[in-house]
Amino acid sequence: MIAAGRRPLEDRPFLWLAPLLLLLAVLYLYPLVDVTRLSLTDATDAATPAHYTFASYRSVIGSAEFLAMTRVTVVFVAASIAGQLVFGMLIAALVCEGERRHLPGAAIVRAIVLVGWVLPGVVIGIIWKLLLDESGAGIVAYAASLMGARNPTFLSAPVPALFWVTIANIWRGTAFSMIMQYAGMKTVPPELYEAAIVDGAGILQQFRYVTLPSLRGILLINLVLITIATLNTFDMVLPLTGGGPGRATEVIALYIYHLVFSEFQFGRGAAVAVVLMAIGLALSACYARMLQRGRTA
Amino acid sequence: MAASAAIYAGYIVVGLIFLFPLLWVASLSLRPMAELFVFPPRLVPQHPTLAAYHDVLSGSPLARYLLNSVKLVSATVLCALAIAVPSAYALSRLRFRRPGLKPLVMLGMLAVQLISPLVTALPLYRWFSTLGLINSHAAVILVYVALSAPFATWMLTGFLDTVPVALDEAARIDGCTRLQSLLRVLLPVMLPGLASTAILLAISTWGQFIVPFVLLTRDDLYPVSVGILDYQSSSDSVSTHLLAAAAILSALPAMLTFLVLQRFIVGALTAGAVKG
Repeated sequence: MIAAGRRPLEDRPFLWLAPLLLLLAVLYLYPLVDVTRLSLTDATDAATPAHYTFASYRSVIGSAEFLAMTRVTVVFVAASIAGQLVFGMLIAALVCEGERRHLPGAAIVRAIVLVGWVLPGVVIGIIWKLLLDESGAGIVAYAASLMGARNPTFLSAPVPALFWVTIANIWRGTAFSMIMQYAGMKTVPPELYEAAIVDGAGILQQFRYVTLPSLRGILLINLVLITIATLNTFDMVLPLTGGGPGRATEVIALYIYHLVFSEFQFGRGAAVAVVLMAIGLALSACYARMLQRGRTA
Repeated sequence: MAASAAIYAGYIVVGLIFLFPLLWVASLSLRPMAELFVFPPRLVPQHPTLAAYHDVLSGSPLARYLLNSVKLVSATVLCALAIAVPSAYALSRLRFRRPGLKPLVMLGMLAVQLISPLVTALPLYRWFSTLGLINSHAAVILVYVALSAPFATWMLTGFLDTVPVALDEAARIDGCTRLQSLLRVLLPVMLPGLASTAILLAISTWGQFIVPFVLLTRDDLYPVSVGILDYQSSSDSVSTHLLAAAAILSALPAMLTFLVLQRFIVGALTAGAVKG
């Protein structure tokens, strides 16, 4: 047994990890501490000295805008994750089922869905903005007019705008849920399906009694990850609506950005950022627990 | 048979939903201005032309944005890998004195990725302002590296775990130091893992938006993700074909990388998903 202090340098893991840990400490951990500190000040911009106060939290969380933003964010996040989970699972089931029957084309469908996911968020916003052009040349407007709608509004009225921003986000995020659940479905032993078929289970019953229970762990992890991703949505909304009309699609990340960079309310922006961070950390903790449970099980 | 038909019907619906938006924008980008407002709208332009691409690349700053992105992405991928390789080595091969520390480091790396870059960008913006580092590509690269190194480490650790320890132990018995065994023996074996990690990092960094949006204010320094937003705000309905061409051009590198190396990426993603 080598004494603790005599361990050769090259055997010490933290020496190898030092660059990474240093980088994370300076550019992650310290900013998180600093943003928390800033949230307790009345900071405006970088040049003006700030005083410590608890007023940021009080004035922000009590404000009507915060309430409105919370409502928009909750609707956006809840509808997005429901859509992404359901469509992701449907597509994953389609692809798996196709592969099991050796139908050609499954890999192509998988690739097409994933293309939407690798696009930069801003480009996705622009693509949907072009699709939702409200003039006669817009393709969705044309489709709506074929179905009898006259002068439909998509992004220029509050409720449709939130609806379409959510649709665009489901389009963007479904691929991730699809690939996670596809991976999960691949790990289900085929014997389980064979046994179910012997017992006379149809496709829907196989899904209900074999696929779903086997996917529970993956679904929970999936849920946590897409909740976080959707909460952090920022880039896609900017070109699509910029948070408007009014503040109808101002989700939490946009709200923080506006507070800090348009209204120069740094302290308040930091306060909302701390709220976002706290939710993120809480969800990460859930995620970590699930992973550890998955390891030991 | 009926089931197969139903599956194919599903494939067609899914394929259309995910492909049509892209096809429509591609169609817009291939039209002359006169065809932007044809009614009823048609997917295939009557007189397709590449003029919009030519105009966008020669008459707008888009080419500059694309170059900036290439520069930022390649520097980020190289630096992130340089940091991730030794970290992954430590996590895969070295014994931590306290057994609880390794999972702590692994989970910590996951947790930091789940925090919005916007949260850290706020204090970073303040520091970089006082340090005069706003409008510095080096500063943006540094933050990008911090955002991507944990993910790269996580992926490479998973990959190294699948390489038999006997391999580097043989090298060490032959007298290699750990660093030599990593560089000469493990690195060549890790090449596929390095490649798929680099691809995933490149794609995610190409789309990275918040950091340059906050830390860069001079438009000649913008990467394409920020630049195209600028471009959109300066365009109007008669230049829709130009905006469409710009959107296609800024998505193309990520899309092509993905399509060419699809097998690699799906493998890496699914492996990650199952392992957690």
